[in-house]
Amino acid sequence: MGSSIIKGRAWVFGDDVDTDLIYHNKYLAVTDPAEMPQYAFEYYPGKENFAREVQNGDVVVAGTNFGCGSSREHAVYCLKEGGIPVVLAESFSRIYYRNAVNNGYPVLVAPGISSKFKDGDEIEVNLDTGEITNLKSGEKIHGDAVTDLEKEIMAHGGLLQYIKAHAGKE
Amino acid sequence: MGKTTIEKIISRASGKDVKPGDRVWCDIDISSARDFAGPNCCLQFEEVTEGRGKVWDPDKIAFTFDLQAPSHTEKVSNNQKIIREFAKQQGIEKVFDINWGIGQHVMLENGVVKPGHVVLGTDSHMNLLGGAGIFATGVGNTDIVASWILGKLWFRVPETDRITVTGEFQTGVCMRDFLTFLVGNLKADGLLYKAAEFYGPVIERSSLAERITLCSMITEMSGKIGLIQPNGEVLQWLVERGGEDVRESVEFMKADKDAIYCEDLHFDVSDLEPLVSAPHAPDNVKKVSEVAGTKLDQVHIGSCTNGRFEDITAAFNVLKAADFKINPMTRCIITPATREVMSQCAKAGYIEKFIDAGIVFTNPTCSLCTAQHYGALPSDDVGMSTTNRNFLGKVGKGSSTFLASPMTAMASAVRGMITDPRDILG
Repeated sequence: MGSSIIKGRAWVFGDDVDTDLIYHNKYLAVTDPAEMPQYAFEYYPGKENFAREVQNGDVVVAGTNFGCGSSREHAVYCLKEGGIPVVLAESFSRIYYRNAVNNGYPVLVAPGISSKFKDGDEIEVNLDTGEITNLKSGEKIHGDAVTDLEKEIMAHGGLLQYIKAHAGKE
Repeated sequence: MGKTTIEKIISRASGKDVKPGDRVWCDIDISSARDFAGPNCCLQFEEVTEGRGKVWDPDKIAFTFDLQAPSHTEKVSNNQKIIREFAKQQGIEKVFDINWGIGQHVMLENGVVKPGHVVLGTDSHMNLLGGAGIFATGVGNTDIVASWILGKLWFRVPETDRITVTGEFQTGVCMRDFLTFLVGNLKADGLLYKAAEFYGPVIERSSLAERITLCSMITEMSGKIGLIQPNGEVLQWLVERGGEDVRESVEFMKADKDAIYCEDLHFDVSDLEPLVSAPHAPDNVKKVSEVAGTKLDQVHIGSCTNGRFEDITAAFNVLKAADFKINPMTRCIITPATREVMSQCAKAGYIEKFIDAGIVFTNPTCSLCTAQHYGALPSDDVGMSTTNRNFLGKVGKGSSTFLASPMTAMASAVRGMITDPRDILG
């Protein structure tokens, strides 16, 4: 899966971050994923400037049930295409998790993470081992990568790549 | 070992003897997309198949135009055109254009989806079809494109909670209030990755509209699907729409007596009061009596959750009890779920009364589920709606929305402030 050690700054969000806060319905008519990052978190109070200030390699850290609400895949594209290498959360909402896996986009379930990080903390994530380190406080926490079929799909880079690789074998 | 309903449906669709936690590929009966995300699916399909691909089965694909129907911008109009052209090129005939209404409801009314089916759609509330015994799930565009290529999709078999509902609703209290109670009780992640099955006398005697309402907000608890075994008049209605083979499917999906449930929950609705979801989360539940008197700028009745004829009838009866007058300072909008519902409202004489009362009665559409439709709220306005989400800024930056039943919504339109419908119904 390429470079598996990620270093960046943490952007910390709360529980139940819904898809309108991640990517508002105002921009649903957009069809090109490359256009989506500019709208990320525009409606999240206190994080309205996310899209302008985020740097390549920064990481999204969130509480429980991240990505609840709509099935819009825009909410995955706006982070993936925006250079956010991974989302770490206490838990993910079902459809968001699925959309991430289907795009080969790493999401780690990391219980306890939301209390370990503050905005701007330097963070290191090892995608192979799931080890997450707060480089400021030195605290470590473990995140679970996907398993089973989801892992295979991720390894191919996404669902459509997985299907191509398995064409005729199903 | 016995099986729950979802385990039976997935076992049949995958050809595997499944248990919770298994990952399996299921045959898809209908893979649908709407005017939102539908264009993304068409473009992605063409990109992935390099413009030469044919979908696996044009008869099993449907398009519905509901989020922004009729289109109000050139961008959306062009998106909708992408769908029409794709459908024509691929020989897809099930295209329910801007004149039909909300996709799940339209497909159900027209027998496109049936009990026991596995159905996909680009709408996170596809799973309201669980109220008719259909395993339907909202997915993103990549899942839809995969299903159009393969005719299959992967699923993780969910665990199931069994929810039994007893008692009788008091006057002015309805299934929406029970649903609001349930969301408040289980919270936004209370059914994470799970399915639910509903049983008990309240469920057995409920109408299809009530079942749709109840199953429409499983997503607001992060669940996969809520399922109800079709019976009585609901079964008869489904047979009329879907054909005699519906009976066999309904028999097949019955959970085994020794099925294993994750949790067994019991609720009695007899003491339930009218409830609202206060801003800005569906699980922020309060009694109407706690927030009564809050001034409202706008009231909206409709959506995939509460837009059926029975819902509009409930609102009509409250308006009737108030001599067909609403507060002139409150804007009131009613949106039927489908054109069939709109036609029922016309035949029942409702529309004329609504118009005379100063209510805006619209074409069938999703309406106020997003800020991209008529009725979007300006900053600082407070609205009430029978939709299923009141997330911060969802229908307008700086606005607030209370979610409520059609009865509470109409009672509140009558007084111009949050009102217990029992104050008007007596």
